Parts: sequence; C-alpha cells; structure tokens
Amino acid sequence: MSIPTKITISSLFHRSAAPFFNPTKIPTPPHRLFFSKNITKIISSNQPVLSSPPSSSSLQRVEELPPKLQEIVKLFQAVQEPKAKYEQLLFYGRNLNTLESKYKTTENKVQGCVSQVWVRAYFDEDKNVIFEADSDSMLTKGLAALLVQGLSGRPVEEIVRVSPDFAMLLGLQQSLTPSRNNGFLNMLKLMQKKALQLYVEAKRGASPSSDVSGIGDSTSGDGGVVDSAIGGNLNEDLGHTSVLGSRGRRIEEILNKELRPTAIHVEDISYQHAGHSGVVGSDGETHFNVEVISEEFQGKSLVKRHRMIYSLLQDELQSGLHALSIVAKTPSEAAAQ
Amino acid sequence: MMISMEAVVLKLPSSLRTIHPNPNRALRTVPFASSAAAPAPLSTDPHLGPGSLAHLTRPDFPILHQEVNGKRLVYLDNAATSQKPAAVVNALRNYYESYNSNVHRGIHYLSAKATDEYELARQKVANFINASDCREIVFTRNATEAINLVAYSWGLSNLKEGDEVILTIAEHHSAIVPWQFVAQKTGAVLKFVNLGEDEVPDVEKLREMISKQAKLVVVHHVSNVLASVLPIDQVVSWAHDVGAKVLVDACQSVPHMVVDVRSLDADFLVASSHKMCGPTGIGFLYGKSELLSSMPPFLGGGEMISNVFLDHSTYAEPPSKFEAGTPAIGEAIGLGAAIDYLSAIGMQKIHKYEVELANYLYDRLSSVPSVRVYGPKPSRSVTRAALCSFNVEGVHPTDIATFLDQQHAVAIRSGHHCAQPLHRYLGVNSSARASLYFYNTKEDVDDFIDALSDTINFFASFK
Repeated sequence: MSIPTKITISSLFHRSAAPFFNPTKIPTPPHRLFFSKNITKIISSNQPVLSSPPSSSSLQRVEELPPKLQEIVKLFQAVQEPKAKYEQLLFYGRNLNTLESKYKTTENKVQGCVSQVWVRAYFDEDKNVIFEADSDSMLTKGLAALLVQGLSGRPVEEIVRVSPDFAMLLGLQQSLTPSRNNGFLNMLKLMQKKALQLYVEAKRGASPSSDVSGIGDSTSGDGGVVDSAIGGNLNEDLGHTSVLGSRGRRIEEILNKELRPTAIHVEDISYQHAGHSGVVGSDGETHFNVEVISEEFQGKSLVKRHRMIYSLLQDELQSGLHALSIVAKTPSEAAAQ
Repeated sequence: MMISMEAVVLKLPSSLRTIHPNPNRALRTVPFASSAAAPAPLSTDPHLGPGSLAHLTRPDFPILHQEVNGKRLVYLDNAATSQKPAAVVNALRNYYESYNSNVHRGIHYLSAKATDEYELARQKVANFINASDCREIVFTRNATEAINLVAYSWGLSNLKEGDEVILTIAEHHSAIVPWQFVAQKTGAVLKFVNLGEDEVPDVEKLREMISKQAKLVVVHHVSNVLASVLPIDQVVSWAHDVGAKVLVDACQSVPHMVVDVRSLDADFLVASSHKMCGPTGIGFLYGKSELLSSMPPFLGGGEMISNVFLDHSTYAEPPSKFEAGTPAIGEAIGLGAAIDYLSAIGMQKIHKYEVELANYLYDRLSSVPSVRVYGPKPSRSVTRAALCSFNVEGVHPTDIATFLDQQHAVAIRSGHHCAQPLHRYLGVNSSARASLYFYNTKEDVDDFIDALSDTINFFASFK
C-alpha cells in the first residue's frame, strides 16, 4: 500500500516516542508565576471522560477506522497530559505539507471556521484519495494534519464511512463533538464530500455531471455528506457488503436467515445523521436503510411487516442501532412496481 | 454609600468558595476621594490594590468563584456579556416565585403587582440615563432589536432616495446591517467614516460628512474593539445643525459610565441589559417623545393597539405602541434590579475604577513582545474603555484563546467581534479581545498577562 505522505507513521513514532511516551521525559513547562501563593497550582490530571479507555462498543468502532487513523487515535490516547496532547497536535501540524496558494480557493475552504482552513483532494494511480490541507491557525492545522494523515491513501468508501465520533477518542478538549458546528467536523465533512466528488467525476468521465452539484452543501443542517441517491449508487457499484460494518452484516444475516428474501438491500446511512443525539455515544452504525422482498410478508399489513423486522433486530436496537428505514414488499408487489 | 457596600459584603454566604479570601474586606474603607496633587503616572494603581472596587464587589457574583480545568476562572469577556450579581438573580427568581403574572391587562392582585414592578423598571431605566419621561423608554429584546426598530419604523418612513446615513467603519454589525436593509428599500445611501490617526474614527471627517444630505448619523459611543470613546455631544450638535438625527449605540458605554441622554441630546439611544449586570433577553430604545409619537409601529399584535377592527386598527401611544405581545417581564424587573445595584455603587465610581484598570491592562498588554493592541493609546486626554483587542505576531487569535482557556482558565474572545468591516480595514481576519468590568481585579489582569506569555512561548516553540 503506497503511503503518499512524506512522514510515515513509524517515523512519527520514532520522533515522538522519546518526549511523549516516556512520562519522565515529557518536557515540563517553565514554572509559571501566579500572583497568589494561596492558590495551589492544580495541574489537571483529571482526564476528561472522553479520553478514558474506550468501552468495548467503541473499540469496535476504532477497528473500523482506516488503519492510520487508528494509529493516530491510539497515539493520542497514550498521551495523558492535556498540554502534551496539544504539543502532539502541533507536531502533526508542523509536519503537514504546505498547500500551494493556488489551491486556497473558496471551493477548498472549510466553512464555519474563524480561522481559515483549506482542503484539497486528488486521486493517486490506485484511485485512493490523497489529501492536502492548510490553515492559518496552528491548532486547526494540527487537526487538519490528523485528518490528512489518517485518511490519505485510502479508498473513497472507507473515507466516507468515517464517523466524526472518533474525534472524542482523541481526548482533545477542543469540543470535537459532532453536535457543535465546528471546524473539525466541517473539515471532515468537506474531505468526505471531496472524496465523493472525485469518485463521481471518475465514474462519469472528465466533466462533472449534475449529480456532482446535487451533492449537498456540507454545512446543511442535517449533516448529510451526500445525496442518498449517490450514496446508493456508490453502494451498488462497490458491492454493498464491502461497505457494511459488523452491525450492517449482522442485520443482513439475520434478515436473510429469518425472512428468506428474494432480494435484500441493507445500507448504512449513519454518516448522514452524524451530529444528532442518536449517534453520540454509539459505535457509529446507527442508521440503516433496509429493503427486503420476501414471501413472508404475504397477507401482512405494512405495520405488521415492520414489526416483524423490528422484532428480529431487537438485539441490535438495544445495543446502539438507532433507526431503520424499512421497505418491505412481497415479490409480486415488487414486480408490479 | 460605604455602609451599603459593607452590608452587601457581610451578606456573603459562607458556603461560597472564594479563591481569594480577603479577611480585610469587610473592614477596609476604600479611599475614593482622589488623593491630593501630584499628577500620578498613567498606570499607577491607587485604586487597584486590595480593597479595590473589584475586591469589594466580587463576592456578589457567585459565578466568578469557580475553577475551570483545575484553575481559577478569570473571566475577561465582559464586552460580550457581563455577569450578574446575586441581587439580580434573586429578583428574577422572586418574580417567578411570588408575583409572576401578565402585565397591563389583568385586574387581579398578582397582575397589578407585576405591572407595577415592570413599569417601575421602566422608570429606573429612564432615571439611569436621565430621560425626561419614562415613556421615552421602549423595552426590546436587546440593542440589536432596538436598532432594527428604528430602522424599520423611523428609517423606512423618513428616508428616501439620495438621503444619507452616516456611520463609521467601526460600527457593530447590528448598527450596519439593518441600515443596509433600509438603504436597499428606500434608495438611501450609507456613508462610512474611516479611522484616523490613533486608530479612532476620524472625527473631523465625520463632521465633514454630516452635510445637508445627511438625515441620520449612527454612531457608537464606546467601540467594542478599539476601546475608543467618541464625542457624542459634538456629533449630535453637528447633526442637528443640518437637521439630521442621531442614533447612539451605547452598549459599551451605559454599563461602564454615566450616560445622560439629555446632556448628549441624542435622538435615539440603545443598550442591552445583559452587558450591564442584567439578564439577557431585554434591552431598550430611548427615543425623544416627539420622534416616537411620529413613528409607525414596528411589530403588530396585542398591547400596542388601541382598537382592533377587521380591516384596520388604531394604535396605542408610545412606548406601548412599540411593545407588541407579552414582554420579558421578569427580565425587565431583573434589569431594574441591576440598575439598583449599579446605582448603589455609583457609575462615577465604577468608571473611575475602570479607567485605572484600562490603563493597567493596556500597559501590561502592550509590553508583551509581539503583541499589537488596536485602538488609541491612553493619555491625559484620551481615555480607553477597559478592553483590548489585540493580535500576536505569528499566532492565530483562535489558538491564543483556546490555549488560554484550556491551560489557564482565562476566558477571552477571538474572532471579528461583530465588526468585520473594521477588521478588514485593519487588515486582519480576526483578533483576540480581553474585556473587563468593575469586578475584575488587578490580579485578573496579571494572571491574564502571565497566561498570555506562556501561551505565546508555547506556540513560538513550534514555529
């Protein structure tokens, strides 16, 4: 697998291992002078809840991240002190390739940031997406560098599936919760949107089709990165099973087993719902479109069909599955359409 | 005055965690009579030491006594919003617990009491700014809504094609955007005065621009970015000479100094409660009686009417004419309580303390290497408000504000502070801003400067 960025993860480990992984060698800040001796200087050793070792359900999510992003997340989790995390972040930012000014266009600008952030995306020979980014704020540049490092060189479907929840695992207190409209989320969304644009443009040849402009504004309220039609096409083209995570596969398995459908289509649309309350704290696979064509639905009302499917997926619904959008037809109904 | 201050101090509940316990607080009297002759250097702090106004009043503000990320909170974002003393919080709670009721329409006891208190609050606002009549005070949601009221009501019916509205480029967006709407609808023209030397709006240019074409001058009293103070009384006299009206944005002045609308002779003046120790959700428009009487309504609904027929209605007299619907009753009463609190201290006393603090902040901040502070240098003739917008060479303001918050619990603001045209003129995208109020101590400033130096060093090591 080609690693297009200059800095490989292993070299990053070497460079950063000494100061960051050995606690005794973490550079201590120059002694700060506080006014009153009455104040005991409380160095915050409280870890924010978010950076504590992830529960088993979120570990699953980490494993599903692109490998380099996993490394980055683990690296940040290993760094305890908040200040050291910032140093780590700034190191990333400093090592980011500079973006040529001709790429600092309005199209490439991340909306909704007080600082200026630009992101550029292009395909390499293997149709993996390469990202470049820049910012005038050093912290934002660090965050951009994380994303560039973590997502560059990966295929489109992997990039598109990344839910911004992983940012919580970094333990940076920069309020990286998806519910807040902030730079990090918008950066990720823009990168995902650009990855999709590359995919669509490649599919349809050199000139962008109207579908490209149909890709929604990355700052639109519902947080959707992509028109569901395009997402659907993407799934079909790439084979939907390759896009499903473990929950998606389980859903498909259960429905296949119990309903013996003539046709079934399970689609993970969790990324469209990134940011609303159902997603936070879950393992990232929260919203699905399910289309099932089966004889089992014969003679049953719509409500009954939906109930059947819900009861089959009880366990999933208890463990983080937030919503299902169901189309349940009999073979004759499907043929009649 | 002194007695009431001590009474306030003694009421401090022991459960409050004060980070700076000051056992002398209750006993020391603050020497506010200015000490004799020798002209002291600008950043001397006779009033900033222990026993200062801030030390005396801090216990009244429960919110200030907390830690953020393990450090004592240093709140320096007062230009964005101020903190509220317990008296205001209590007034609001007391309203809801004892006499909440809809105003003006009811006959019963609670309603009468609520109405009395609400109208009393209106009178307090009128007294606070020395308006001649409480009917010249229109309660709005905030200063922004008040400006929109003037724009939609007075502006649309008085401005026509070719008329000029004079503003400065340092105006807050709320003082610019509504007039853009009016200009689009009426064909009036907006003209902006740039900054002169000393980074203050060029007052001479402003005078020149107030020609016969000018019908309205919209101008801030104190700038929320530059900390400069404009000579409103002069601006008003120039405007009145040509028959133009003046709308004063007093959001950053009313909370910090004596503002007298009659001595300024302003036609309109706006301010927000939440910047002056009052609750959010309430502000006011001051307008001269004859102006308000001649203006058509802004919002329509209950309360602002006299008689309603199917095809037309007749309207109430000001201020009711401009107060449609159920108002923010509790909030207005809270604002009244805030005014009581501020008046008990005395706006002159507050202003005097803040001038000292402003000079101290400016001196300390401008001595930090690679820091560039915007606005005029304070001097004998130039007073600054107690706020500084600044940039650090090579470090983005957002980075500064984030690190200050995360590592030092110092709360400042970064961004354009609702003054994009001004930032564009200064050639920057954004700035950081530390803004103080009378409950900020000299120690707050010292902590801020120390934290800032640490922050700058941190980022410098990564360049």
